[in-house]
Amino acid sequence: MLVGALLPWASTVLPGGAYPDRATLQFFDAPHLVSGFRLHLVLLGVLAALLSRARKPAGIGVAVIALVHMGFLIGLGAPSIGGPVALAGGLLLMWPGLTAPAPELKPPGPAVARLVLLVAFAALVWLVSETLTAGGQSRATNPYGGAEFLAFCGLVLALACALSAYGVLAWLAALTDRHRFFAFSVMLVCALALPFTDAGTGYWMTVASTIGVYAATAIGLNIVVGLAGLLDLGYVAFLGIGAFTAANLAHVVPFPVAALAGTATAGILGIVVGAPTLRVRGDYLAIVTLAFGEIFFRAAQNNIGGLTGGANSIPGIPPISMFGHAFDKPLGVLPAGSLYYAVTVVMVAVAMVMLVNLRHSRTGRAWAAIREDEDVARAMGVRTGRAKILAFLVGSMMAGLAGAVFAHKLGTVGYESFDFSESVTLLAAVVLGGMGTVPGAVVGASLLFVLPEKLREFSDYRLMLFGLALILIMRFRPRGLVSS
Amino acid sequence: MLEVNGLAVAYGAIEAVKEVSFTVAEGQIVCLIGANGAGKSTTLKTVSGLLRPRRGEILLWGRPIHRLPAHAVLAAGIAHCPEGRRLFTDMSVEENLLLGAHLRKDRDIAADMARVYELFPVLGQRRTQRAGLFSGGEQQMLAIGRAMMARPKLIMFDEPTMGLSPIMIQQIMQTIAVLRSQGATVLMVEQNALAALTLADQGYVIDLGRTTLSGPGDQLLADPRVHEAYLG
Repeated sequence: MLVGALLPWASTVLPGGAYPDRATLQFFDAPHLVSGFRLHLVLLGVLAALLSRARKPAGIGVAVIALVHMGFLIGLGAPSIGGPVALAGGLLLMWPGLTAPAPELKPPGPAVARLVLLVAFAALVWLVSETLTAGGQSRATNPYGGAEFLAFCGLVLALACALSAYGVLAWLAALTDRHRFFAFSVMLVCALALPFTDAGTGYWMTVASTIGVYAATAIGLNIVVGLAGLLDLGYVAFLGIGAFTAANLAHVVPFPVAALAGTATAGILGIVVGAPTLRVRGDYLAIVTLAFGEIFFRAAQNNIGGLTGGANSIPGIPPISMFGHAFDKPLGVLPAGSLYYAVTVVMVAVAMVMLVNLRHSRTGRAWAAIREDEDVARAMGVRTGRAKILAFLVGSMMAGLAGAVFAHKLGTVGYESFDFSESVTLLAAVVLGGMGTVPGAVVGASLLFVLPEKLREFSDYRLMLFGLALILIMRFRPRGLVSS
Repeated sequence: MLEVNGLAVAYGAIEAVKEVSFTVAEGQIVCLIGANGAGKSTTLKTVSGLLRPRRGEILLWGRPIHRLPAHAVLAAGIAHCPEGRRLFTDMSVEENLLLGAHLRKDRDIAADMARVYELFPVLGQRRTQRAGLFSGGEQQMLAIGRAMMARPKLIMFDEPTMGLSPIMIQQIMQTIAVLRSQGATVLMVEQNALAALTLADQGYVIDLGRTTLSGPGDQLLADPRVHEAYLG
């Protein structure tokens, strides 16, 4: 075990020679403190040496980082011995896996619990900020950006596994559950503080608010698919309906009215789609919703009714403007886009509260019953038709609201944003994050919309890596990253 | 209390129930027996409003209920404990029971839940566990408890002893007797004719979608035709 722990360290020392001639792990001398390969490896090595339970997680992290590093160096045509050494170290650490179950930690007193939650969420925001900025925003600023990002992911993965091995994650989840209101407030404040971190640049704020829009949409889909179990393959159409409604009204009415109109229109169409699907189940429902998504897409493409601009899209949508301030401009020290980010954070927060309350309500229980066994749900007196339409209504309204924000934020709405692949990505976000869980959809959406952005420099291999990541997640967390 | 007259139910072109008639008096245990595919389960599903009859009528206290949707039949006082338990296996014991009380809005739900736990202590001890983790017998107890939660006047059991051990069968039958002693009326479908008819006040034999024989439970048990066909 000690050998295993030493190997990652050895790999950074072994190559020797004039830097960076013997291109090895040292090649990536940490330009961004935490993103340096060496630091990660040594950190994980120390972690593994000191804490027995963290051995396997550290091994996984080392192996991932070593693989990323090797792949990258081979890609550069400069393979080295550091990588294989580190990989061997990682595998060695993983080898005799410790199978003892995670210990159960006692819940602390309320004051301590709150402090812990505060620290935990602050750390989470820092982590999000670092994850966003790891490797810089483009190839121009940092040629090794993608590799650095992947290596950072390896580190985060290892730390998460280690925390979980010590039962800390479950403990935190229990604390969050117990002090639900406090945890939620802290989380909201921390999320709103993101513009003050390293990620507080116009670019990252734009990325983060786009993620926010999709996260809110994914939460809506989570109500339909995760809670009520209705597989909807055309869901992105509701985002589009909200967006086009707001885009058409943007010059006429202020944002809140446009947003309400978008929400209402999407809701009405949600019922229109929901009603005829009451008699179909499972695969057939998926086909009907798929068809609806396609009808919407084609209608928007051909500018039916002159409402969507067709191939020209609808340009020149004014930004949200309140109190005489346009939301796309910087505000004081805050970079441009921060206000949109704040809007999406609030929207996601509202959606989360709604999801939690629905889930534990009588309606939520009825949905769960329908999801598990529709016939018996009927025998228990659940009005299945009404419950299903309600799920469609709530879900599509959520997407409609997100669509209205989406339209104002982008300034241009075109039909291409709402094709089938977007529905699939949203569905993947829900499934990956964890069906029916509250943070699941947010985690899933963040992952699915950050990963492609971050893997941009692997252009050719991007989709392949993306697919690989999805397969790995489903292999090791079949019930989603955040399972209930 | 319940009167079924000349009931016929079809799945598409196939008429599973052709001519079924029976009555259930208040406070009785009534049992329908018959071979596989005789139409027993279909009859119960039709009574509870999950299926629509093609002909015939179902009267509850003289009021026709065969056109009512399932939730209205339940609200009228008929609960259905379906074949094969059909629990919500991903939910906890408590959530299953709450779903049984889905239509109720009164404040006595907690008290009724306590009553179920009293009747089946094992459920009370494991109230937060997933129903899917339970043994067959425990699942049947939960299914019975779930049906009780609706406070029905009439509980219908579809093969409550299916796949259970002899000891468990005995226990379930005892529970059904207890329910009756507490004032419930029971309509039961069983393949285990011996256990069912021993308990039943009144029995009906259904064969190929028709009620062919009827009589008090012990009398049917003694009937040579029943003996030959179902008790062997």
